[in-house]
Amino acid sequence: MAKSPDKTSSKLSKTQAKEREEAHPLARPFLWLVSHGFQDKFFWVPLIGVIVFSVLGYFYPLHHPAPWDVVPMSYAIFGFLAYSFVVLCAWPLFKLLARDENYYGEGDDD
Amino acid sequence: MIEFFSTFSPAFILIAAGVFAAFFPLHHGRKILMIGAPALALAATASIFFDSQSGSEFIGGVYNVAGLELTTLRIDHMSFLWALIFCIAGVLNGIYALHEKCKITDSSALIYTGAGLGAVFAGDLITLFIFWELLALSSVFIVWRGGEKAYPAGMRYLGMHILSGVLLLAGAVIYGRSTGNYDFNNIGIDAPGGKLMLAAMGIKAGFPLLHNWIQDAYPKSSVTGTVILSVFTTKLAIYALARGFAGTELLIYVGAIMTVFPVFFAVLENDLRKVLSYSLNNQLGFMVCGIGIGSTLALNGVAAHVVVDILFKGLLFMSMGAVLHRVGTAKASELGGLFRTMPLTTLFCLVGAGSISAFPMMGGFVSKSMIIAAVFEEHHYIVFAMLLFASAGVLEHSGIKVPYFAFFAHDSGKRPQEAPWNMLVAMGCAAFLCLFFAFPWGGVQILYNLLPSEVAGEAAFHPYTPDHVIFQMQLLMGAMLAFNLLKKRGLYPPERRAQILDFDWTYRKLGLGLLSWGNQIWTRLGAQITHMAKRFFGAAERRFYYLFSPASALSQDAPSGLAAILTAVMLAAILFAVYLL
Repeated sequence: MAKSPDKTSSKLSKTQAKEREEAHPLARPFLWLVSHGFQDKFFWVPLIGVIVFSVLGYFYPLHHPAPWDVVPMSYAIFGFLAYSFVVLCAWPLFKLLARDENYYGEGDDD
Repeated sequence: MIEFFSTFSPAFILIAAGVFAAFFPLHHGRKILMIGAPALALAATASIFFDSQSGSEFIGGVYNVAGLELTTLRIDHMSFLWALIFCIAGVLNGIYALHEKCKITDSSALIYTGAGLGAVFAGDLITLFIFWELLALSSVFIVWRGGEKAYPAGMRYLGMHILSGVLLLAGAVIYGRSTGNYDFNNIGIDAPGGKLMLAAMGIKAGFPLLHNWIQDAYPKSSVTGTVILSVFTTKLAIYALARGFAGTELLIYVGAIMTVFPVFFAVLENDLRKVLSYSLNNQLGFMVCGIGIGSTLALNGVAAHVVVDILFKGLLFMSMGAVLHRVGTAKASELGGLFRTMPLTTLFCLVGAGSISAFPMMGGFVSKSMIIAAVFEEHHYIVFAMLLFASAGVLEHSGIKVPYFAFFAHDSGKRPQEAPWNMLVAMGCAAFLCLFFAFPWGGVQILYNLLPSEVAGEAAFHPYTPDHVIFQMQLLMGAMLAFNLLKKRGLYPPERRAQILDFDWTYRKLGLGLLSWGNQIWTRLGAQITHMAKRFFGAAERRFYYLFSPASALSQDAPSGLAAILTAVMLAAILFAVYLL
């Protein structure tokens, strides 16, 4: 049976209240940083950043461009591709290189 | 007073304090030494440097030992900068370790810091070797403070560093006998013994395939031990390379590889202190590359990067140490959401992460840019692209992964206390210095004034130009966008507990396996040889018995005629043999 909206909101506020209570006083004003909503929307920060700095790059071109800097937004594209490449490589590399934590017979690091 | 200090290396202040601390029973007294001794060494160094009209080389503490002139105190711009940051790091480490009641850590840390300082001040290769080895011996005790599990890693660490010392000594002796002097100045790879010394320094600097001792030993040490270890050994190697091998082209490519390969391992690692150890390797790569370039701008960049790297890398290790201290683990898979109860540690970690990622107004922005610009000036475009790639990789593992998985990400449900006050003070000081040395209105100029060469003329560098700031931000924003997209799409790999194989597999598994196989073969072969020997001697014994025992054929009665014939045949055979010879 579905819960009524009132009950859900009161439960949520209890969770939030508990979270606030547990949090360090200095962290309380910034608890929104760890909310799912913010983390979902954070996507817009680098996206807007890329757009803004790409536009600015048009007005302030590099004084000493590399041969590939003829491509607009070259640094943003480079950063995006390099980062994606590193992260996507992790999938096959993990399969190739990952072993049990006690592989060397010395236990884990904790 | 200054005259008194200029007669011996300030390193001896630290070493003496370390020896004293080993026997001093009072915890508080040892802590005063931990902070006071580096501070006193710093004051002594600064007073000598500024008194010697800052610029000229000061030579002191010269001893004649067995016909060799050992120079224990050579202060110039280069050694002064390294000594300065070593002493500052020593003080910060002392503050960070205030809560820890451990005689061994206190004593070893002081001797280790002193050995680092002594090696930096060494004016000759023999003095360098002595402090080089003392550095290894004193630091292994810090590794072992990690507990029982750190013991094998400590042994491997010691083995590598003793090997490094042996190579250095061999190279130094060959160099000294060929050139007639042991002065520690520019050596060059083609000098007699040069390759041996380069290999020795390469081990300590974590060259590719020689790097595993860093990721093996550092994360296994104690909370404070890792912070202490992260400062001296590798940065001393960078000093030695900059002093002895500046402009060696090979180092450009070695450095470029060093910046790139750790990035792939760091993204796989679950232990955040191990991630930072790979990150340490990556940052050393920038420095090695700059040394290979060898221009004034590049060497200034290397020196500046050593200063800020010690600060931001120390800061990151401190923050992860604080997490380990409070939570009991530094595994990303076990952490998350710690920001709620550790906001100051989070803040300091973010400053370290921003600095290592080279965000404008933060530590690495100025120094890393100097090295990359120097590479660009020399038209090494592929190396330049590799360094840019590595910069995006740094953002991945140290800029995002470490703070995100520890303090944000999913809520692990852990609610530890904020770090102890002394850790917060040490982290706060390091964070302040990270920001200060990148501050465009004063801080950068102070950093420039400390560098080995004047930042002017061809070596002039202006980091805060609009184009440089904009394109650096483009790179970082592009990488951050990739993180967000990959995370949103579920393409970012989850953090999982595992042992990631690296090159150390060759000696920890393959080498050990081969040795074990050889041992088994030897054991079986030995058993077989013993068995065969037993059979051979048994058979021989039986034969002799049949011949010479009382029951044997020779003991039986024989006719005298037969005996005479046998004797005559034997004599004839002997005569024939003699005749032929």
